[in-house]
Amino acid sequence: MTSHATISIEPVGVRWQSMLPPLAVLALAGLGLLSSDYVVTVLGFAFIYAIFCTGLNFFMGYTGQASFGQSAFAAIGGYGSAILCADYGWEPLLALLFTMAISGVAAVFVGYPTLRLRGHYLAMATFALGLIVYEISIEWTSLTQGYMGYSGVPPLGIAGFDLVTVKQQLVALAVVALFGVFVAARLRQSRFGRALASIAGSEPAARALGVDIARYKLIAFVIGALYASAAGSLFAHFVGFISPEVFGVTMVVQSFAMLYLGGIGTMWGPTIGAVIVSVLPEALRGLKEMQDIAYTAILIFILIFAPRGLAGLSALFKRDRAQTREGA
Amino acid sequence: MPNAVEFLQSVVNGIGVGLIYGLVGIGFCVIYNASGIVNFAQGVFVMLGGMVCQVLLAQLGIPLVLAVALTIPLVAISGMIMELAIVRPMMHRGATLFAIILATLAAQIMIERIVLLTLGDRPRTFSEFTPGGPLKIGDVAIGYQLFWILGCGAFLVLLLWLFFTRTRTGRALRACSQNREAAQLLGIPVSHMMLVAFALSAALGAVAGILVTPTQYTAYNVGTPFGVNGFIAAIIGGFGRAGGALAGGLLLGVLQALAIVALGAGFKNVAALSVLLVVLLLFPNGLFAGFGSKAKAH
Amino acid sequence: MALLSVREETMRFGGLFANQSISFDVEEGELLAVIGPNGAGKTTLFNVISGFFPPTSGSIHFDGEDITGASAHHVASSGLVRTYQLVQLFKHLTVAENVEIGSHRVTRGSVFSALFRPEWMRRQEKAVCEGARELLRFVGLEDQADVQADKLPYGRQRLLEVARALAAKPRLLLLDEPAAGLNTQETEALAEVITRIHRAGTTIILIEHDMSLVMKIAQRIVVLDFGKKIAEGTPEEIKAHPDVIAAYLGGTEMTDA
Ligand SMILES: Nc1ncnc2c1ncn2[C@@H]1O[C@H](COP(=O)(O)OP(=O)(O)O)[C@@H](O)[C@H]1O
Ligand SMILES: [Mg+2]
Repeated sequence: MTSHATISIEPVGVRWQSMLPPLAVLALAGLGLLSSDYVVTVLGFAFIYAIFCTGLNFFMGYTGQASFGQSAFAAIGGYGSAILCADYGWEPLLALLFTMAISGVAAVFVGYPTLRLRGHYLAMATFALGLIVYEISIEWTSLTQGYMGYSGVPPLGIAGFDLVTVKQQLVALAVVALFGVFVAARLRQSRFGRALASIAGSEPAARALGVDIARYKLIAFVIGALYASAAGSLFAHFVGFISPEVFGVTMVVQSFAMLYLGGIGTMWGPTIGAVIVSVLPEALRGLKEMQDIAYTAILIFILIFAPRGLAGLSALFKRDRAQTREGA
Repeated sequence: MPNAVEFLQSVVNGIGVGLIYGLVGIGFCVIYNASGIVNFAQGVFVMLGGMVCQVLLAQLGIPLVLAVALTIPLVAISGMIMELAIVRPMMHRGATLFAIILATLAAQIMIERIVLLTLGDRPRTFSEFTPGGPLKIGDVAIGYQLFWILGCGAFLVLLLWLFFTRTRTGRALRACSQNREAAQLLGIPVSHMMLVAFALSAALGAVAGILVTPTQYTAYNVGTPFGVNGFIAAIIGGFGRAGGALAGGLLLGVLQALAIVALGAGFKNVAALSVLLVVLLLFPNGLFAGFGSKAKAH
Repeated sequence: MALLSVREETMRFGGLFANQSISFDVEEGELLAVIGPNGAGKTTLFNVISGFFPPTSGSIHFDGEDITGASAHHVASSGLVRTYQLVQLFKHLTVAENVEIGSHRVTRGSVFSALFRPEWMRRQEKAVCEGARELLRFVGLEDQADVQADKLPYGRQRLLEVARALAAKPRLLLLDEPAAGLNTQETEALAEVITRIHRAGTTIILIEHDMSLVMKIAQRIVVLDFGKKIAEGTPEEIKAHPDVIAAYLGGTEMTDA
């Protein structure tokens, strides 16, 4: 049986190679459990970003579009969860799902007119969306407490069982991140996922085969927003504090660095990129500004010299064997 | 309800900042015309113009004329570095449009962080070019700097016009904007032209930054608002013509100033960004004709 | 009733009439060729029929339904599938996946079925996958199923595009110069494939430059020149038609047919 048939029909994770990345994530989480709380925090951020990037990958990787404003939905999730849980005493999980629903609806309303745009227009319009939400999070002080940020967000918990230690939370984040990739893999390897990929490949050809491009772009955008919102909520619970800066332009550029480093359009690329980009600059720990310079330098370097990221490198080893089956 | 004086005052304020947006908008057009790229880092030149000039004035204590004469080429060089180090290699390697946009955005953040690390986050300013003022007409106050902005703006537009119509380089740049392949065939060194475009565009941003800083302040992070507003100005003006971008900037500046009166200062950026979205959505392909095909190349 | 009927179709680009008052019918099971010099308006005709541009005036009916001005994906989902003069593959995907995407119109299911994979979805995926392999065998690409599409040589890319269109089980297949850029041997292989598709019952409209190919396989021919239909008939009638001979510069291209 060819690998082609295997991957398409069987659920993901049949071949032993495809078990490596999830095992690596679990190993990392396990390593985190044996390490200091500081390491745990860094890994936690990495997993949260992995969720964000896996969602962004639907829109930018599979579908080949661009959103420079996905941070807006992370902000909705983050502030929504913070306010609902801290001020109104909601269950974190309930708040997370509720804010995801809000983000999804917002994404439909915003995406419907915006996604008709192309090229620079699409980039600038989505960028503007991110900036608008950022500005609102600063200016609407009665809701968001402005620059001061919002503190006192309770940790994650399920049905009254709080995950009080960061290590417990790390395990939860790893599980959620893996679940996110699992969902992405299932969606990509289906009629739905192939329709997204067809848009990235050639819009005229996709239309000629009956793919409703506007609809699929919108769905990919909304899925990205759902992931982003969940990532924002998880961030709020994990750190216990959020401020506008968390969801600013740097978040956009940082997530792009991850996406491009890991390999845009691939299944595990976003997660791998998120872990590397989060962990590496810790060598420069203490100086936040240095970290940003490191992210941007990494990103520019990759964009110029290896636009397919690490996935492109692995292609060198795999020879002709189409790694694209994994979802490029 | 704003009264007549408030209204007039905000129109006056809007004209000043609007001209600045217009200059930034022209900078967008110059690069776009030469290369087909929208440089998301355009605002950073405005920031650099203000910061470098302030440092030269305050730290080195040199006279204004000299500071300006040094700042503009320095910032122009930063634009050339951006072209040589980032845009050119990416274009050579056939990078996608989004990747190039993203790289310019990353360059903006990198430059901002470098400035933040070296110069700190303290907002800076320097005094108006001509001391005294403001000029009072009735109850409306007009700062002398506004006249500098108006004068320099008009002078720059004249210079640009002369450059694009009377010089070989300027004409070659225009040829590139009409059809890059054809220009190449005619023997115009297209990549050299892109370098010129980045230098010119950065210099325009620097002038804008120098002119505007006395009326407000500059800091490492003022680039994004100026860049976004300049982009809006360029779009309103029909992307490509200097005069259009200038008019678009004026319109936007005045609209924003009125929004401040009506909604409060906090939401002026939200207002401008909303204008951007409305313009983008009402003219999805119109003003930037040709974008669609480029985007598809992804 | 005709499967496709084009009535007084006109497409104007500014001052240029790319198509002017074109009318013709295509019957179920037919193989119709559209020929004409470069710039005659053949591709424009396909663009209008397949919903990529709404015509300036006139109407298109497909299978009794008025599809004038309907969106391209709607037209395609009703079974009218086209290929492109310049190949439009999903270059970053494998050959097999290109064909699998072709089955979009004849399959169903979206996000939820992809996530939960009910029994019917698994069966459908299996059928899609096997159908794709079948089609690749049909056009002779089965050995390259796992190759990235843009790694294929040009001639095979054209075959892949045809296979992908077939995966959509078209009721009417529009082929826009499928032999463009192929050598003689490849053209013959392609002609063979087209004939077999036709024999299997698919209605086809073929735009083609290669006269020998057209004369060999077409049942009926429509000739366009400067946006107008100047002739319509069997290959024999067309070969003898004075206007056609004039349009083709005294028939130099026709003689070797
Ligand atoms: N989208 C378009 N915009 C403007 N003119 C077009 C467009 N598409 C085709 N044309 C013009 O219509 C005429 C017919 O073109 P086309 O249908 O491609 O011819 P053919 O396929 O027969 O070679 C040509 O003159 C071409 O330049
Ligand atoms: Mg044609």
